[in-house]
Amino acid sequence: MIIADRKPLEEIQEMVENCEKILLLGCKGCVTVCNVGGLKEVQVLASTLRIARKKEGHPLDVEEKVLERQCDPEYVEQLRDSYDQYDAVLSMACGVGPQFLSEAYPDQRFFPAVNTKFMGGAVQHGIWEERCAGCGTCVIHFYDGMCPIARCSKSLLHGPCGGSADGKCEVSRDIECIWDKIVRKKMEQNRLEDLRILRAAKDWRTARDGGPRRSIREELVK
Amino acid sequence: MDYVRKTLEQIGMEPDRVQMFNLSSAMGPRFAEIATEMTEKTRELGPSPLSANKC
Amino acid sequence: MSDRFEPQILAFCCKYCAYAAGDLAGSMRLNYPPNVKVVQVPCSGRVDIIHLLRVIEDGADAVYVAG
Ligand code: SF4
Ligand code: SF4
Repeated sequence: MIIADRKPLEEIQEMVENCEKILLLGCKGCVTVCNVGGLKEVQVLASTLRIARKKEGHPLDVEEKVLERQCDPEYVEQLRDSYDQYDAVLSMACGVGPQFLSEAYPDQRFFPAVNTKFMGGAVQHGIWEERCAGCGTCVIHFYDGMCPIARCSKSLLHGPCGGSADGKCEVSRDIECIWDKIVRKKMEQNRLEDLRILRAAKDWRTARDGGPRRSIREELVK
Repeated sequence: MDYVRKTLEQIGMEPDRVQMFNLSSAMGPRFAEIATEMTEKTRELGPSPLSANKC
Repeated sequence: MSDRFEPQILAFCCKYCAYAAGDLAGSMRLNYPPNVKVVQVPCSGRVDIIHLLRVIEDGADAVYVAG
């Protein structure tokens, strides 16, 4: 799923500084699962903003709502009757949400309440890690299910680099060297020879480097 | 609990307005003590900037 | 009478420990300040961040959980 972090309170407060009435809009998709933009987080942020503004003697009316998903026009459409009742809408979805919203309602302002970070999952309660960089041409079958594109700091197709030490990446001791893991697993499974195979240079045009991407499923397009 | 206290601090309110206590059903006196303690402490902090209490 | 500040305090008390302790305090005729209003919850684990924030938002001077 998509992993995000809540923006610092100060930054959010600044965005809505001049507003008197806002809608705080959560999403039941990824951001609910990674505990950053679901019902609960909407309630907590809404209450916090109200307390802060009430304290300053400049109350802020914060309405709370959570959409099924903000990345689907049919759910975004559910705001049609109410979107213009606010000075701004603060979205707690990933970066897709506020964009779909402003496309649907060009005369309203939509602000992001979270920093959208990566695609990954929870490795333990409260800790999420990156696993996929959406490169558009998956190659993890060559690497025993471990992705060197997303998980090696240099996205090496042949590794590890000379900076790998004690299973850690030279970029930071907090990053594990995925190439160390790939090599170890190949050794365990007696498939080290796989790593002698030369992999063709990756065609990065299927990744972000080829410009913004789209997916067309002919059979679904009317 | 820590999260709420931290949040209050961020918006410039005293985190001590929110507390947590552990006690068992047999601790009647401690219950009264905590209530007194909280009242005293809050008196020191003064009224909440949000409260309507003007006395 | 003094006109000292009388704070409004809310206490979330677990039914089985703190609330029972409160009952005991009552039957022992112990005094505690009338500033504290008690809300019984089935378990202090039920109390969430949002409950505490809402109490502050609604103007309480302090709030605590006892369990
Ligand atoms: S190879 Fe590409 S698509 Fe596959 S997991 Fe890595 S980044 Fe994602
Ligand atoms: S140390 Fe490992 S993870 Fe870091 S750049 Fe080198 S090969 Fe990649």
